[in-house]
Amino acid sequence: MDENTNNNVLVIGAGMGGIQASLLLAEAGKQVYLVEKEPLFGGNVIKYEEVFPNMECSTCMIAPKQQEVLQNPNIELMTHSIVEDVQGSVGNFSVKIKKKARYVSLVNCIGCGACYDPCPVSLDNEFEQNLSQKKAIYIPCPGALPNVPVIDPEYCTRLKGVDECSACKDSCMFEAIEYDQKDEILDVKVTAVIVATGFGLFDITAAPKYGYGKVKNVYSAFEFERLFAKNGPTEGNTVLKGGENPNSIAIIHCVGRKELGYCSGVCCMYSYKFSQYLKHSFPDAKVFQLYSDMCVPGKSYQKFYKQTMDKGVDFIYHEDVEVKGNGSKIKLNVKNGKDKDQELEVDMVILAQSLKSTESNSELAKILGIEQDDKGFFVSMTESFEPASTAKPGIYVVGCSEAPKDVPQSIAQAEAAVGKVLALT
Amino acid sequence: MSDKIGVYVCECGPNIGEAIDIDKVIEAISPIEDVAVVRRHKLLCSGDGQNFLVDEIKNEGLTHVVLGACSPKDHEITFMNVATRAGINPYLIQVVNIREQCAWIFKDKDIATKKAIKYIRAGIERIKYHKPLQKKELDANPDVLVLGGGLAGIEAALALTQTDRKVYLVEKSADLGGSVMKFEKLLSHQGFNLGLIKEKVDKINSNENIEVLTSTNVESVIGFFGNFEVTTKPAGEEAGGKSFIVGAVVVASGYNWFDLESTPRYGYKKIEDVFTINDFGRMIEESEKLKLSTGKEPKSIALVHCGGRKELGYCSRVCCMQMMNIGNYIKDKYPGIEVHELHSDLCVSSKNDQKYYEKSKEKGINFIRMKGVEVGGKAGAISIEYTTLAGDKGKLAVDMAVVAPGMIPEAGTPQVADMLNVPLHPTGFFKEGHEKLNPVGTTMDGIYVVGCAQGPKSFMETLIQAQAATGKIFSHLIPGKKIEPEVKVSEIIEAFCTGCQTCLDVCFYGAITYDEDKGVSVVNEAICRGCGNCAGSCPSDAIRPKHFTTTQLYQEVVEALRE
Repeated sequence: MDENTNNNVLVIGAGMGGIQASLLLAEAGKQVYLVEKEPLFGGNVIKYEEVFPNMECSTCMIAPKQQEVLQNPNIELMTHSIVEDVQGSVGNFSVKIKKKARYVSLVNCIGCGACYDPCPVSLDNEFEQNLSQKKAIYIPCPGALPNVPVIDPEYCTRLKGVDECSACKDSCMFEAIEYDQKDEILDVKVTAVIVATGFGLFDITAAPKYGYGKVKNVYSAFEFERLFAKNGPTEGNTVLKGGENPNSIAIIHCVGRKELGYCSGVCCMYSYKFSQYLKHSFPDAKVFQLYSDMCVPGKSYQKFYKQTMDKGVDFIYHEDVEVKGNGSKIKLNVKNGKDKDQELEVDMVILAQSLKSTESNSELAKILGIEQDDKGFFVSMTESFEPASTAKPGIYVVGCSEAPKDVPQSIAQAEAAVGKVLALT
Repeated sequence: MSDKIGVYVCECGPNIGEAIDIDKVIEAISPIEDVAVVRRHKLLCSGDGQNFLVDEIKNEGLTHVVLGACSPKDHEITFMNVATRAGINPYLIQVVNIREQCAWIFKDKDIATKKAIKYIRAGIERIKYHKPLQKKELDANPDVLVLGGGLAGIEAALALTQTDRKVYLVEKSADLGGSVMKFEKLLSHQGFNLGLIKEKVDKINSNENIEVLTSTNVESVIGFFGNFEVTTKPAGEEAGGKSFIVGAVVVASGYNWFDLESTPRYGYKKIEDVFTINDFGRMIEESEKLKLSTGKEPKSIALVHCGGRKELGYCSRVCCMQMMNIGNYIKDKYPGIEVHELHSDLCVSSKNDQKYYEKSKEKGINFIRMKGVEVGGKAGAISIEYTTLAGDKGKLAVDMAVVAPGMIPEAGTPQVADMLNVPLHPTGFFKEGHEKLNPVGTTMDGIYVVGCAQGPKSFMETLIQAQAATGKIFSHLIPGKKIEPEVKVSEIIEAFCTGCQTCLDVCFYGAITYDEDKGVSVVNEAICRGCGNCAGSCPSDAIRPKHFTTTQLYQEVVEALRE
């Protein structure tokens, strides 16, 4: 092969968009480097118990796709890795990828989990929104793929040089623990780059009126997802801080919409999904939806809203809301354009956070030489009707890295980017 | 030659080794008929383990191999490759999951061991009925039929063009361009440069790899992925049709508008100067002047959102932005005209939409949130009565009203769906292959549906979908490359088939047809995915999904349950 041509494509981010792009490229015979910064892959979807509008089991939906990635000889999945540098132009990009030391062999480990218990260090589990603890050697949640743990060098006493602890190594029957692993730099050549870095979440503490972090039993949407997930910290038993199940729950929509200046397009739907979760677990619980605009675009979403209403969920229009603690209860002052505020008392509040761009986008924008909009999302060439392309030839942006989207929209954009990449050669 | 079955139990380190008494398993399994060897290994998936298996199969002359190990999801492919390396058919391997389903779920070693023995026995009894299967390769035609010459069809046809691929773009009307080209002024005002569409149409017309067939209908599409036979007919004529073969079909047949006349509360066609978005668009295309029936310029205009949403049961996604665009158009060209937007929920879900809404408010457009509306009065004194969310009644007097009708499926959609053997959504639009995972595919391999043919879509979403279908076709249907259909497909035993055709109804994929001459159902192996629906529904037990026959399943269950 000519030195300046290659058959490789770099995909950054292994969520729904990145996975779909990689599988299609691999099928077309491309060699794909799929780089994911987390030690596990699958994106945000693996945090959900079910997905709207068909209340399908999320893991069952994505796990077969993940297996396909793991088994595809044309895809080199690099978890716990980041893209450090990209030089060159379409057809011939030189990419530097840092594979961070995992300290556990991806080849030898069979994922039996025997190493967790002996580890003496416990720390907050970010994947579980800090609702549970993990060890310094961990997989983020049961079922995470690849089913191989990682050691956090900031907490492992041995890797910090505090002591000579070898509890995990002693418990491993497969010689999978490798304390001397080092970060590796990998240089690869690719013809094109697909960016699929997903979304971040609105920082609710920036809006004190919601009482988040101050009022007990006020949860973010992702905390609630994990509180309902069968593989989550409570094994799916949604409990309040005191250990009891909630009897009345308010789900507040559009948290961050005003501040961010756009509608995220998915929060209404996931909020209805939450009501359905709650009504399934606690049929007698009162569930309130504090909505502003029902965003149910397309042929099948409004039906989901109706189904939610039919389950006895109350919908309350709101323009603004204030959340305050009131003993063991939570008091809501709801402003909805009438003279007098409506008052509600509940024992759980769920805040439907807006999606925002991920923080790592700005670093990546510099590395790739692509543009971000004023909200941090990558800019695609919509004006010239190329919604998956950037101004830089050979670099494509898909999914929520470009704008908030639902899963099928992200997948379609990933497929569109693949079309563009495969048209290059 | 009689069967020689080898059974291998993987210790998986301590995972199975310590949780299950493997010696007991070997003792229980060894006496079973046709079992030649039963052995254990530390880790069968390792390099050592795989070499060990290859040697065993060769040295012992094994015909079938049963593996008591982890989930087949983990290593079935690994072991199928081992079989190939050892020179036996890869489908004569059965992985029995004694790790996740036995070792990992019981604390009691006896119970785990007992269950593992039953499961391995079941695996042995089922594998006796396995037949060697061969992967097939079929030639595939790389050409593509694009059905519909609107925004989606134009984008797909042009994007699909490659030197070794021909695209047939079939449009039933006389021109390419579809609905977007009818609203050039409005869409330009919304920021869409329709000149680009015209450029694309020019490129299509001059591209020798694209055959454009306007004023043409597709009469039939018969076949399967890689090999669809298409016949077309010029609209309104009997002769002059064409026949050609394509490997894939992209349906981009667009949408239609909800008939506002069917809902009297909008006053449409009863009160003069009540328009649809369409009428309004046409009016400004013609003269760029806003005129009432009296010939005068209107002083106040009501823009009524969500026309037919209640009746249709869904939100049409684009009307909010279209209506705001109309509001802006009026305010920009005629700042003196009063504009009221009567909306219910605002659908502003693209990242720049909300900003547009805020700007529209700043321009002085009066937004009124309502939950019900009625257009009454008469020309010159149109009365808009509405109900607010709080239940209060409100009234507006205007001299022009524009109502946004919802989007509905294009006429003829059921016929196209029937011809292509793809299902429709309850709303009458085409149904995507999977609402989450397969947004532009269908249940039929090689048939894609893009744009508003599958439901209301914005301009950009439509383009993305057209490009997505292109991506899938470039990935799945590569010129010169053969396609591999599913191996474990259904077989119909003709002698047993009574021709009741129950199986035709339950097949998701349209893989079964009825042979009138023989009076039996026939499976097209190129389409069948081996789901087994047909076998389950067959009252005569005439259908046998390969490796999932009733006998196999029966033997497996009996052994799994036998003490």
